Amino acid sequence: MTLLRTLATRLASGVLVLWIVATLTFGAMHATAGDPAIAILGGPDALPTQAVVEEVRREYGLNDPLPVQYARYLGRLLSGDLGESYRLRTPVTSAILEQLGSTVVLGGIAGVLALAIALGLALVGAGRGPRVGGAITAVEVVITAVPNFVIGVGLMFLLAFQLRLVPVAGEQGWASLVLPVLTLAIPSSIVMAQVLRSELDEVLEQPFILTARARGLGEAGVRVLHALRHAVIPLLTLAGYVFGFLLGGTVITETLFARRGIGRLMVDSALTSDIPMVIGISLFIALSYVLVTLIVDLIAAAVDPRARLA
Amino acid sequence: MRPAAITLALMLTACSAAGAGNPSSDPRPPAAGFDRLSYPRADYAEAKPGMAGGTLVVAAARDNGTLDWQLLADTNSKWLARMTGDSLVYLDEQGAITPWLATAWTVSPDGLVYTFTLRDGVTFADGTPLDAEAVRVNLDRIRNPATRAAMTTAYIAPYVRGEVVDRLTFRAHLSEPYAPFLNVLAQAWFGLISPKQIREAPETIATAPIGSGPFVVTRYVRQQEVVLTRRTDYAWSPPLTGHKGPAYLERIIVRTLPEALSRYTALKAGEVDFLNDAPAQKAAIIRSDPELVFRNRINLGNPVRGITFNVDRAPFNDPRLRLAFAKAIDRNALSRGPGFAEYAPTTAFLSASTPYRDTAVVKPLGYDPAGANRLLDAAGWQARGADGIRVKDGKRLRLAVLTSNANGLDQVLVGIQSEVRKVGIDLAIDLVPVAQQTERRRLGNYEAFGPGYWHTNTPDGLYIVYHGKQRDDGPYRGQNNSRLADPQLDAILAEARRGASPERLAALYRSAQARLAELVPAIPTSENHTLVAYRADVRGLIFDTSHNTPRFETVWLDRRGS
Repeated sequence: MTLLRTLATRLASGVLVLWIVATLTFGAMHATAGDPAIAILGGPDALPTQAVVEEVRREYGLNDPLPVQYARYLGRLLSGDLGESYRLRTPVTSAILEQLGSTVVLGGIAGVLALAIALGLALVGAGRGPRVGGAITAVEVVITAVPNFVIGVGLMFLLAFQLRLVPVAGEQGWASLVLPVLTLAIPSSIVMAQVLRSELDEVLEQPFILTARARGLGEAGVRVLHALRHAVIPLLTLAGYVFGFLLGGTVITETLFARRGIGRLMVDSALTSDIPMVIGISLFIALSYVLVTLIVDLIAAAVDPRARLA
Repeated sequence: MRPAAITLALMLTACSAAGAGNPSSDPRPPAAGFDRLSYPRADYAEAKPGMAGGTLVVAAARDNGTLDWQLLADTNSKWLARMTGDSLVYLDEQGAITPWLATAWTVSPDGLVYTFTLRDGVTFADGTPLDAEAVRVNLDRIRNPATRAAMTTAYIAPYVRGEVVDRLTFRAHLSEPYAPFLNVLAQAWFGLISPKQIREAPETIATAPIGSGPFVVTRYVRQQEVVLTRRTDYAWSPPLTGHKGPAYLERIIVRTLPEALSRYTALKAGEVDFLNDAPAQKAAIIRSDPELVFRNRINLGNPVRGITFNVDRAPFNDPRLRLAFAKAIDRNALSRGPGFAEYAPTTAFLSASTPYRDTAVVKPLGYDPAGANRLLDAAGWQARGADGIRVKDGKRLRLAVLTSNANGLDQVLVGIQSEVRKVGIDLAIDLVPVAQQTERRRLGNYEAFGPGYWHTNTPDGLYIVYHGKQRDDGPYRGQNNSRLADPQLDAILAEARRGASPERLAALYRSAQARLAELVPAIPTSENHTLVAYRADVRGLIFDTSHNTPRFETVWLDRRGS
């Protein structure tokens, strides 16, 4: 019963979030995107005749007052219709779905890899005293400070250009995933490793660890079997952040490595004032955030009994 | 047409470093004082037949999201459209009209009726024969506002009606004489599409346009690749190209690689064979690489205007100030900053490869800081503030330039900024999102407009950029960003547009450019270039006469050893 009520509350607040996102993006785009008719016709470098401009205005209902356009937009949204892209002239939903697979594959693999790297780094690095810990922290800070783009270009030069191990860019087979996945995974793994390691540092000082060691358990056993379990919960709450990090990172990696995907679609749409597309992707991203945080909370409640009380 | 959104830095000097491995090197852009640049016929016609077979991988900077070339105004669509579509006519290397799908044509004495005789035996890729009805359906589609063509509609605005005289005779009726009509029909955006597809499945044109060109689109994945397969029955290349029969290449794969660095790296690594939008910043490296070839071509039409003044706004509504501004800019010095030695400096209002270009009348726009200072003094701006900027009646001599860097040309503004500061002008760069720039352009809410160019294959480009009817608030959502409406200039440009003898046209375009040099609505800074690079085993490349972009039916791969 409690779980159901929690779920209902969360879903309701999720819908509220989506409505706010839709309204804000609608307002922001219409305030800054200029004349949508010109955007539809290709922006400032087009040479449309007045007749063509008027045709577009009529077709898209752009002569109506903004509140009327907003109401019409919300109405369509309620029926699940995100509208048609100005630039691509295809439904927004199908344009997103067309690009989604590529982003999911990239983000998914990068996420798993990032988690693996983070676990490895944290398990090896935790509780090694201030000297080793300080050195690791220094490396982590440097990597976190380097922009994604620079990491990508560096990897591209090393792996594709100098060593010629993988293709430079594009989507030709699994090998072309290596560079974008690494570019995406390395910075996010560092963030996770930092959290995980400081948590492990703390846990390793706890009395029950001493007990485990006293029972004659080896160092690896102590870390993996006992300490890690306790350190995972803060990592879980970090999942939303990492999800956002990966999603944001796709904007750069997809462009740099010429992959299809949501990130690149968002950039192209924003640059060309493709209002329905920008709103559509914003809504889509908001929806995935809502779902991810919901799932994370459910898992947290299952893993940690204390979370259920909250 | 819009420049591809690539990071072009402006480069303003001529360069003589041709790589050892370059089988041909283009004539260097003409130095100041030269008149029109002519590329040799050999750049446009096949020297000898090539070997058939193979796949060419081409990289491009962007994907337009649609392959429907008739709807676009994008610069990237020119060479892509040529692979799949053919036009009625074709230019020669001097800009004269030559046959293509139309073998002959006549123009009525009043300039209102164009009668085309079509080539027999031409088919679209779906088997539909080319006939007069096909031409009519195409022009009507472009003309129809519901088609929402971003540029082509405006280019044939005087076209009112098509008439099918007989199977192979088509007549176009215009509402007013319009001399550039044949020129624009020669452009890639006017490539014909199967009338069957236009009538029965227009929604498929965006992803699989069916033209009569040497290649057919067999696969299109947005933002990723276009796969084109050759037509074995193709036999109607423009006679000027000297090419007979189908293309040599079996297949072309066009990949979208938005990052300049990725494009270069992919070419060097051999993952792609050919770069459209070759990165200028890598030109020197490519030129010195025996495995690679770099080609640089000056486009027809208008060169890059570094600054376009809003001539309605004080204090630069005074032509003396605008002239002083032009004189203050050392275009060679601009190149020493961000320059990569590929873009040629210019002061002319037409590009070096465009007929009737005149460099004599624009001499006053050339670098002359002393002259600039004299003009500014004479206009009452003698006093200078503590920062060296001129002052008059308590106001600083300041110009805010509105830009969005949508075309990647903004680096030139930084160079101009430091140049004009030397004569006491404060140039403020107002960088805004492209949509805001467009909106403020419509409202006239700017003092100056940032870098841009307009490519077309006729000197009528002057009409498009400077005629009073082309203001954004006029009958067209036009490209006249200076908001100039000078009766004298308008009369000259309108007369040239109606058409005249070559002698008269020469006189008209000379006086138009002379008038522009007096008014200085904009400051030409460099030519607008097409840059391509390819691996040395790519042979037989010729260029399109309208766009100076590559044509691919003559390209072949010299890979006997491998």
